[in-house]
Amino acid sequence: MKYFPLVWAALRRKPIRTLVTFLSVTAAFTLFGLMIGLNDTLHQLEARAPANRIWTVGRFGDRAMPIAAAHRIARLPGIKKVSVMSYLNGYVGDPKNVAGALMADDVYGDIFTDQLTPEGWESIRRDHTTVTMSRQQAEHFHLKVGDIYKVIAPQSVRADGTNVWELKVGHISEDVPQVPNGMVAGSYDYYDRSLPLAKQGTIAEADSIVDDPANAAALSKQIDRLFANSAHPTQTTPEKTLYAVNNFFGGMNVGALTHGIALIGLLMILFLIGNVIAQSVRERRAEFAALKTIGFSDAKLIALVAIEAALPCIAGALCGVLTAAALSEQLPKVMPRTFGIPPPVMSPAVYMLALASAFLLALASAALPALRLRRQDIAAVLSGRA
Amino acid sequence: MNMLRQIVIVSSLGLRTLRQRLWQSLVIVVGVACVTGVLLFMLSMAEGMHQAALNYGDPRSVIVVSRGMIFENPSAIPRDQARIILNVPGIARAQDGSPLSDASVSTFVPTELRRNNAQGFIILRTFGKEGQALRPTFHLVSGRMFRPGTHELIAGVKAPFQFKGMALGDKVILPDGEWPIVGTFATGDLLDAQLVGDTETVMQSIRHNTYNTVTARLASPSAFAAFRRALTTNPILAVDVMRLPDWNALGSAGISDFFHLAIYGISVILAIGALFGCFNTMYAAVESRSNEIATLRALGYGGLAIAVSVLLEAAMLSVAGGLIGASIAWALCDGEQTGFGSDVFTLIVSPAMIGTTILWAIAVALLGGLLPSIQAARWTVSDALRAR
Repeated sequence: MKYFPLVWAALRRKPIRTLVTFLSVTAAFTLFGLMIGLNDTLHQLEARAPANRIWTVGRFGDRAMPIAAAHRIARLPGIKKVSVMSYLNGYVGDPKNVAGALMADDVYGDIFTDQLTPEGWESIRRDHTTVTMSRQQAEHFHLKVGDIYKVIAPQSVRADGTNVWELKVGHISEDVPQVPNGMVAGSYDYYDRSLPLAKQGTIAEADSIVDDPANAAALSKQIDRLFANSAHPTQTTPEKTLYAVNNFFGGMNVGALTHGIALIGLLMILFLIGNVIAQSVRERRAEFAALKTIGFSDAKLIALVAIEAALPCIAGALCGVLTAAALSEQLPKVMPRTFGIPPPVMSPAVYMLALASAFLLALASAALPALRLRRQDIAAVLSGRA
Repeated sequence: MNMLRQIVIVSSLGLRTLRQRLWQSLVIVVGVACVTGVLLFMLSMAEGMHQAALNYGDPRSVIVVSRGMIFENPSAIPRDQARIILNVPGIARAQDGSPLSDASVSTFVPTELRRNNAQGFIILRTFGKEGQALRPTFHLVSGRMFRPGTHELIAGVKAPFQFKGMALGDKVILPDGEWPIVGTFATGDLLDAQLVGDTETVMQSIRHNTYNTVTARLASPSAFAAFRRALTTNPILAVDVMRLPDWNALGSAGISDFFHLAIYGISVILAIGALFGCFNTMYAAVESRSNEIATLRALGYGGLAIAVSVLLEAAMLSVAGGLIGASIAWALCDGEQTGFGSDVFTLIVSPAMIGTTILWAIAVALLGGLLPSIQAARWTVSDALRAR
């Protein structure tokens, strides 16, 4: 610590160079933060998916199942609770302004406690004609509590022959990470009652809680076997499998992709920092020779060079990840709402990894100049012969 | 002295001393190579996907979907309406004189991706009587065509690349049991990664009672307006009519906008890093050449000539880096087959894309070299000599 003024003086000797080095490190670590943060966020989503929840949908396309299927699932041993829902799919105003709602029964909120707040679910249960919106969705449609959310749903024609659904916003709740694009939820009961009699009694999804998470996969298979030869074959998937990281970018290898891009950024600044340090050491050979003369050990000199490299790296890494965090907060504004990819969140793990990488980067870039320093001939340098 | 001549002389002098600054200069080369490499890699993906989506199917075809739909799966055309659409005047005739139009369904069949066992969905599309005729590039590669009325499918030649269990002889699980793949086909477009079966047989099996789309080839391109009017003004129908290329563009628009934002976002961040690297390098270069520059000024060379020579050097290094990055991206990506979701397509690195990235390289050099070049231009003889 007592040598800090020495390092500080070295950094201030060429302030522009230090500043520019810092800025380029910041840029590289902004990218690093976004990439590693995204990877980390997707892994957290997978980790957070409850192991005891399984989803059953129609096996082919967007087919509806009869609600009786849910009752049969509920009777299977090992199934604790089953809820059902349908989707109201449509648009607001223009067909390109995709809109809709998840119309869930009263049990759904007990099973998906992580998708909306308890107050949000409670609000729907109290008044089946209302919807609860997450803040993101409410902002997108410019709606507040008490407003009417008017969805035109060509696939859900009402009993009165129209396809216009006017749903009152009963509650607005905070967004949750598990539902990256926010959600709108209403009541299945109301939805079903509003359809013509012939269309009533179908569901889009039956979601279950199993007694033992270890049985989730086996029970999923059992459900699908149950309906395999029926008029409505099912596709049942444990939520853990559904949220597997590689399911996000169309099956691309997310880990390799994000790490690859982050590494290229680091490779780029490795060259830059290495050169800056080499140059700085070259320019101050006399100074280092003098330090050696007054008794500084090689190890100490190398440490001085390493710290000189590490300071802008570590400061830049911190700033970069902070910038990445600020940028990803803006992401939901530009991401298509149907994209389904969560904006990256910078967890402490991302910061730690960034700092560790910055430190390694500094060591790697200081290695060559430091070694050259060790080999240098003091007498030659001081006498101006080298 | 002529300005241009000055610039040439000063620049060539600078380039001759470049060898002494080799390692420093590599900062620019490596930095820009990274930027262009990553940019081109990502663009090749987006461009490949986009081109594949645009070139899907026969461009002479027109498609009919339920009104307001931008994807085919939610579109539903009842049988009675389909019969009207299939026989609208203006449709070209097949050899037997029947209209060259076909109603079909498509659905997703759950499967596993070959690459990492992630959950995947292969598209099952159906052909009616004219399905094959509407796709002139369609040809069987191995095995035979499915027989209408039997539980048989054919698979595109690229399906096994993305999905497990989709090769000739494999069995696909559909509601009525296992359907063997009796043949493989190629069309040269996205259909090559899909399954195809007989329309009525598949509909019966998956219990669809409505078609998703009707595709037709018109007798002449000019018949389109009348064809569309006939359908959109018919009170029984609630449909949209589009030329297939327009329909393809509509579906891929939203996603590709975001892809481009992500691609350029990542590249801009990288480019900012490279720009600072360029700034540092050129600044150091100007400093180390201070003696030389002072001498040139004393000899009467203008500041502008010196500034331009600094920018030229930066641009040259940057373009060299850009070409290296582009060559690597081109060698690794161009023509490579890849899969994304249900689609299999080839990555594209076109000369136009390489041109764009070279422009990026030049922009990085000019922005990064600007301040150092001004610094060099303002260097007076006494400053430079004092700096020694």
